[in-house]
Amino acid sequence: MSERFLVQPDVEFVKDLRALGGETLKKCYQCATCSVACPIAPDNKPFPRKEMIAASWGLKDKLISSPDVWLCHNCGDCSTQCPRGANPGDVMAAIRAKAIDHYAVPKSVSKAVNDPKMLPVLAVLPAIVFLVVGLGLKVFGVNWLNFSPELNAEGQIAHSNFFAHWLVDLIFIPLSIWAVAIFALALKRFVADIHANALAEGKTDKEKLELKPFLTSLVRVIPDILKHKKFSQCTENNNRATPHMMVLFSFIALAFVTGFFFIYLYGLGIHGPYNQLNPVKILANIAGIALIIGGIMLYKQRMEKTNEVSTYKDWYLLWIVVGLGVTGMLTEFTRLAGFAFLTYLLYFIHLMFVFHLFAFLPFSKLAHLVYRTVAMAHSDYSGREAKKS
Amino acid sequence: MSETKGAPLSGTIMVVGGGIAGLTTALEAAEVGYDVIIVEKNPYLGGRVAQLNQYFPKLCPPTCGLEINFRRIKDNPRIKVFTLADVEKVDGKAGDYKVSVKLNPRYVNENCTCCNACAEACQAEIPNEFNFGMNKHKGAYLPHEMAFPYRYVISPQIIGTEDANRCKEACPYNAVDLEMEAKTVELNAGAIVWATGWEPYDAAKIENLGFGRYPNIITNMMLERLASKNGPTEGKILRPSDGSEPKSIAFVQCAGSRDENHLPYCSYICCMASLKHATYIREQYPDATIYIYYIDLRAPGYKYEKFYNNIKDDENVKFVKGKVAAVEEATGDGITVTAEDTLSGEKIHQTVDMVVLATGMQPSAASAKLPADLQFTEDGFVINDFEKGGMFAAGCANRPADVMMSNQNATGMALKAIQTLAKR
Repeated sequence: MSERFLVQPDVEFVKDLRALGGETLKKCYQCATCSVACPIAPDNKPFPRKEMIAASWGLKDKLISSPDVWLCHNCGDCSTQCPRGANPGDVMAAIRAKAIDHYAVPKSVSKAVNDPKMLPVLAVLPAIVFLVVGLGLKVFGVNWLNFSPELNAEGQIAHSNFFAHWLVDLIFIPLSIWAVAIFALALKRFVADIHANALAEGKTDKEKLELKPFLTSLVRVIPDILKHKKFSQCTENNNRATPHMMVLFSFIALAFVTGFFFIYLYGLGIHGPYNQLNPVKILANIAGIALIIGGIMLYKQRMEKTNEVSTYKDWYLLWIVVGLGVTGMLTEFTRLAGFAFLTYLLYFIHLMFVFHLFAFLPFSKLAHLVYRTVAMAHSDYSGREAKKS
Repeated sequence: MSETKGAPLSGTIMVVGGGIAGLTTALEAAEVGYDVIIVEKNPYLGGRVAQLNQYFPKLCPPTCGLEINFRRIKDNPRIKVFTLADVEKVDGKAGDYKVSVKLNPRYVNENCTCCNACAEACQAEIPNEFNFGMNKHKGAYLPHEMAFPYRYVISPQIIGTEDANRCKEACPYNAVDLEMEAKTVELNAGAIVWATGWEPYDAAKIENLGFGRYPNIITNMMLERLASKNGPTEGKILRPSDGSEPKSIAFVQCAGSRDENHLPYCSYICCMASLKHATYIREQYPDATIYIYYIDLRAPGYKYEKFYNNIKDDENVKFVKGKVAAVEEATGDGITVTAEDTLSGEKIHQTVDMVVLATGMQPSAASAKLPADLQFTEDGFVINDFEKGGMFAAGCANRPADVMMSNQNATGMALKAIQTLAKR
């Protein structure tokens, strides 16, 4: 704080942070207990004390471009030890929500995703897209949507007889590209911003951000992320590390499963449903169950926590996680049990959740997957590690 | 000063607590002609002030001020003192209270000359509460050198043991009376002033600051005893772990104060106390380095600010703006404290020989409810209801205060008590 700068408070930003769970931020009296309580804050410019005063002063630019808000894993140790009940953990979470909102374009989508009033609209949106595309194609004689699906040659229920995989992929492949493109655009600005911020605040002495060593850092932090090395240093929310790991690994496994069956289908021309003894299918089932258990545990832990503010952004993500898992597994069970109507219906709902996952990933809290990873890689690149005394 | 001038007055004022606020209330009221009863739970008067080495900002020993007050009490027939006494119940209304006071036995009568024969005879040793348990004294003991009344006490802990008989036999003046029993007396008072004072906040409750876990982390009140000539080390400030002279000392301000998890309020005295403690250390160890970790330093008023500025000019005293939130034992029984220096934005790990926690004050009423119809804040301070009148709190029973503020407040409450009687 030795450098001089003109404080230009953004009052709207302060209001937004308070609405996003940082209601208590003005209680902070800058004792810096939080920076010491935090098990993962580095010695050099530790967080979250400086973020608390910046939040209080409405220094939006400083916070939005801060890599440090992403190094925070929402341990809650700072909030527990805070002598004022200012809950720095909740404030950091609110800043992250604002950063996600800042980097993701188009803004109108971001606004809708983070507005609970828009949820009914967003909930039916994928259904409309599916029906419009499906019925639209029928006009041209392409029958990829069939409301009275028949059993396949083996006499099994096959979901592709209801929604042809062509229809599913016609929608989901562009959606994946959309998510990747939005992240690419966001990251371009994000990486430049966090480096500029780190340079300005003396968190790094590396003038330029060089791609190759940065990527090396990225590779180096990934095992730590997978092992939840930082997360497990937390005291207060330590119990979240395991369910979070379950959810993360489930997503990774299911992404692999999807990719594998994609090749199976388009490469080898083998259609589902696949054999339950197929190792990839077994992996999919394990991942599905882990996703449900992990998701429900996280949900329960948030419900039970009284000294932490959970807002729409938190619940929305958990609904998606639990919803994906539950509808996915139930679709499979009902299919195996031969409940045709039920399984088609569940499959339809499941696809809606998948749609949300892809379409709104860069706008929702799930974007932390990308931003935190990049920020951690940048921290490694900066040589700014927490010194454990 | 001790004799009444003017018209004779009627009515008695009871003062509960014989610390600096209680003594002042009692003397102010008695010296204008009112009868006063002081009820003190300890075997001696003087309260927390008696435990201090020096007052701030004048750095004079409090015993000298106490001595004058004791002299005034001795000379004033209107003041009656009960030590080892607890108020059990208060009935009645303003102007007419009936107070049940339990008088606990001292087992030593007024024949005592403080010859120490009983203590020599006694074998059992018990922790010295006056020194916060940093040393022990015999089961028969004088609470401290300046104790008033100047008379030994026999601890209830040795009653019924062979030690008690040894004390009795050793006493050449027939002063030991093992037959004494607790009794409850009914006293009348027109007004009551509660000057029940404070307790140092229990530092062991502040988990992240390591008190009780590491011997070289002490509290500010313990430091007062270490620095006092009549303390456990005869006035030498030494490390508890090995009795060595500390070369570096860190003060942790707001230890448990201004903290919703502990005491939500500012305890008012701790900043000035630590600044004063810096002078103790500088005097004993001119080369020692002192670190004061603070959130905000509060040295209100011209004199306190001047005191602070003098210490700030001392290059061996380093002020760090940032609260210590973690401690760890370092090699050689040292302590590493961790804080973020908020001015530089760097986290510091400073290893020192000894750590002093500037713990705050908790009203005595927070742990033991006062047996009277009084209103309290959430934290246990008495809220003075001047409309209702009759009973008032003075000194730290009312709010955190230093000696000067306690005395000013006590004088005001003496007047409030007098007004209650005058209105009758």
